[in-house]
Amino acid sequence: MSAETLAWPGSYGGDAKPRVGFFTDTSICIGCKACEVACKEWNRIPESPQGFTGKSYDNTLDLGANTWRHVAFIEQRVPADADGGASLVEAAERGGLVEREGLATSKEGDGVRWLMSSDVCKHCTEAACLEVCPTGALFRTEFGTVVVQEDVCNGCGYCVSACPFGVLDRREGDGRVWKCTLCYDRLKDDREPACAQACPTNSIQFGEVDELRERAEKRLAKLRGDGQSEARLYLADEEDGIGGAGAFFLLLDEPEVYGLPPDPVDSRRHLGAIWAATGAAAAALGAGLVAAVFGGR
Amino acid sequence: MPEPDAHPSLERFVELNGPSNGAWGELSSYMVSLLKAWWGDAATEDNEFCFHNLPRIDGDHSHYATMLKMLDGGVKGFFAVGQNPTVGSANARLQCMALSKLDWLVLRDFSETETAAFWHDSPEIESGDVRTEDIGTEVFFMPAAAYTEKDGNFTNTQRLLQWHHKALEPPGDCRSDLHWIYHLGRRIREKLAGSDDPRDRAILDLTWGYPVHGPHDEPDADAVLREIGGRQADGSFVSGYEELEDDGSTACGSWIHAGIYADGVNQSARKRPHTEQNWVATEWGWAWPKNTRLLYNRASADPEGKPWSERKRYVWWDAEEGRWTGLGDNPDFPPDKEPDYEPGRRDRAMAAIRGDAPFVLHPDGLGWIYAPSGLVDGPLPVHYEPQESPFENRLYAQQQNPTRQVFHRPENPYHPTDGETGAAVFPFVLTTYRLTEHHTAGGMSRTVPYLSELQPELFCEISPQLAQERGLEHGGWATIVSARQAIEARVMVTDRVQSLEVQGRTMHVVGVPYHWGRRGLVTGDSANELLPLALDSNVHISEYKVATCDIRPGRRPRGRDRAALVEEYRRRAGVKV
Ligand code: SF4
Ligand code: SF4
Repeated sequence: MSAETLAWPGSYGGDAKPRVGFFTDTSICIGCKACEVACKEWNRIPESPQGFTGKSYDNTLDLGANTWRHVAFIEQRVPADADGGASLVEAAERGGLVEREGLATSKEGDGVRWLMSSDVCKHCTEAACLEVCPTGALFRTEFGTVVVQEDVCNGCGYCVSACPFGVLDRREGDGRVWKCTLCYDRLKDDREPACAQACPTNSIQFGEVDELRERAEKRLAKLRGDGQSEARLYLADEEDGIGGAGAFFLLLDEPEVYGLPPDPVDSRRHLGAIWAATGAAAAALGAGLVAAVFGGR
Repeated sequence: MPEPDAHPSLERFVELNGPSNGAWGELSSYMVSLLKAWWGDAATEDNEFCFHNLPRIDGDHSHYATMLKMLDGGVKGFFAVGQNPTVGSANARLQCMALSKLDWLVLRDFSETETAAFWHDSPEIESGDVRTEDIGTEVFFMPAAAYTEKDGNFTNTQRLLQWHHKALEPPGDCRSDLHWIYHLGRRIREKLAGSDDPRDRAILDLTWGYPVHGPHDEPDADAVLREIGGRQADGSFVSGYEELEDDGSTACGSWIHAGIYADGVNQSARKRPHTEQNWVATEWGWAWPKNTRLLYNRASADPEGKPWSERKRYVWWDAEEGRWTGLGDNPDFPPDKEPDYEPGRRDRAMAAIRGDAPFVLHPDGLGWIYAPSGLVDGPLPVHYEPQESPFENRLYAQQQNPTRQVFHRPENPYHPTDGETGAAVFPFVLTTYRLTEHHTAGGMSRTVPYLSELQPELFCEISPQLAQERGLEHGGWATIVSARQAIEARVMVTDRVQSLEVQGRTMHVVGVPYHWGRRGLVTGDSANELLPLALDSNVHISEYKVATCDIRPGRRPRGRDRAALVEEYRRRAGVKV
C-alpha cells in the first residue's frame, strides 16, 4: 500500500479506494498540449490568454486557477555528440558519423534539445494546502487525491502560500482557489482523467500509485541503461519532503531546469516549531495582559 | 474524368486510363459499377452505362489553375467548402484579387473566414489598394455543421476510415455538407422535372433517393456509405473490389471502398477496443482497400513466401492451406496465388502479376524507383533548387526543375535567384510550416479560445546570429518582405534555428508558421502573403517550404506605405511587374 496520508485510507474505512495518481514520463512528451486543452474542456475552465510570451512554444507559463495542466518547453544547448544525449538514436547516429566521417553537424558543433513536460497538481502525500485550509474546502478523497470543494472555499488564500509548488491560485473576479481535481467526477464514474486519456503518447499515465511507481522505476532503469545519465524520478520517494506525491514525474534533467523546486517540503513540517513560537508569544501576551489589568490598580 | 476528344467511348476511356495488368486491369469493372451506382436502372449496356452523362474535363482544374483563370475573369462562380485560400494558399493577395473577379462565391464554413470576408476585410482593403464598392462578387455564406453534429467518416492519411456518430443537432441554420449537397441536387431536379431536353437526363436519371430523417430532413449518411460500398444485383453487399463486374450486375460508388459495407455492416463504425484484438486491430474502423492495414503487405514475406524475419512476420504463405495468411491483416494479394506463380503470355489484369511481385497496383507488380511513366519529371528523382534559392545547384547542371509551373505576371513576381543581379536584396531563406495548436488556415482553431490562447500570435523563428546581424530583438517585432508582400511577426530568437555554412557563405533561415489571418479570436498577417506561385507539375502544389526574403526590425508600415515598401524592394532587386 502506498504511503498513507492523514485521512486516507483511514477515515474512509471500507469505502477507501486504491490511491490513484499520475506518472508523467516527460521523456515521451511531444508538447502537443492536448492535456491542457482536454483539461480545460472537461472542467470548463475559463480561457486565460496571455499573448505571445516568447518562452519557446509555451504561452501558458504556469499552473494557475485557470490552468490545471501546463506544458513547459525548455530549449537546451547540448553537445551534438553521442555523450550529449540529445535524442538517443539521433545522437548515437550523429556521434558515429562525427567520428567516422569527420562530419560536422553545425557550425559550433552544438546541438539543441527541446524538453517538454506536462506539470500538474502533485496530490502530495503530506499536502500542506489541505492542512492549512480553515474551512475544510480542501479534502482528501477516497482515492487519496486532494480536491477543493468550490462551494465551501471562502477564498482566504492560506493554501496558496502553503503549496510548495505554487499550484493553488485564486481566480480573478471569483476569489476562490481552483486546481486539478484529478478529475474526481470522472474517477467516481470509473473513467481515467481527461488529460491522461487525451495524451497521445502515454506520457501521462494514470493508475494506482503503487503500480505506477513500479512502472516508473522500470522506465528509469531503461533510460539510464540507454545512456540518459541525468534521467531521474521526481516526487516518487516517500522519504522526500512531502512524503512522495500521487502525481510524480520522470525528468531528463534537474527539476530546476523545468522550473520545479528541487526539494519541496510540506510547510506543515515546520508547524511544530511555529506552534512552539506561538505558544511562547501567547504566554508573553498573557503576562502583559495580567500586568495591564492588575497594574492599573 | 473523361476528356471530350480523347475519350469518345467508355471502352476508349478504359483503354487510355489504366495499365491492362495489375489491379488497374479491371478498370472497366470499376467504371461500370460506378456508373450503375450513379444512374441505376438508366445505365444499360446499350447506352454504355450512361458514360456520356459524365461531365467532361477540358483542362487543368486544380486549385491554382482555377484561381489564375478566375483572376483573368474566366470563372463565374466558386464553391469554397471548408476552404480558406486567402490564408491557406500561396500568394494570398493573388487569391483575394481573383475572388473579386467572380460573379458569385458560395462558402460553407463554421464562421466567417478570411475568404468569406475578403470583400470587406482584407489586407488589400486595409491598405487601400481595393475598395469594397469596386468588388462585384456576390457572396453567399452557408453555416456548416461540425463533425460532432453529423454522421460520417474521417479518413486519415493511413487510409483508415473511422465513422463518427452525430452527438447533437447543429445549431441554427448550420447544416452538414451532405444535407447541403443533397438538397441542392433535390431542388435542381425539381426545377428540371418534366424536361425533355436530353442534356437534363444526366441529372434527372441520377439515383437521388436517399432517405431523410430528423427535424431538418438530414439525408441518411449510412445510405450513402452503402452505395459507396457496393452491391450485387440481388442487393447483397460486395466484400471487395474483385467482386465488381463490367456487365452491369454490380453497383459500387468507389472501387477502393468496395466492401466497406460487407455483410450489411458499416465496417468503418466498428470500434472493438485494442484489449480485445491484436495490434493489427483490423476491427477498429476499416481501411481502404479491403480493410488492408499495410498496403502491399505480401512484401513482408520473401519471394518464397516466408517471413523475412520471424520476429517481424506479418503476412506469409501457408503452403499446407495453399493460402496467404498472417497476423490478421488482409493479405494485399490474390489469396491463393502461389509464391512461385508465373503468368502465361496471354494473362492480363491480376493474372499477369507474378507470385513474388507484391505491388499489385503496378502493371509488373514491382516497387518502382525508376518510374518510366506516370511522373511528368521522372523517371528518377533528382535534386533541383527551388524557384527562389540563394544557392546554385551543385548536384546537377539544371538549377530548377524544368517542368515546374511558373507564372510570370504582375501579381506573381519572382525574386532574382543566385548569381542574378538583385538576388542580395532578398538574402535569406524563408520557410513556412504548421504548429500543433492550429489547423491549416485557422478557421477551426483561431475561433476556439482554448487553442487560440496556446498560440496567440504570428511569430517568426530566427537564429541568434541573424538576430544580431539585423538588430532583431527576442519578443519584439519584425517585418518580413518579399516581392509579393510585407508582413509583420513577433520575433522568436532560438537555437533551434541554426545558421548554416553553405557554399562558403552563411545562410540564415526565417521560419514562419502560416496559420494567421484577419478573422477569429487571434489575428495576424499570413505567411502565404509572402510566397509566390511556383508549382510542381505532377500534383500542382506550390513551393510553400522555401522562397527568399528579407527581414528587418519593427512593425510593418500601414496603409499605402506598405505597398510602397514592397515597391521599393522590387525596384532595388530589379523585379519587373
Ligand atoms: S486530472 Fe483532470 S483536472 Fe487534473 S489536470 Fe488532468 S484533466 Fe485537469
Ligand atoms: S498530451 Fe501528452 S504528449 Fe501532449 S503535451 Fe500533454 S503530456 Fe505531452
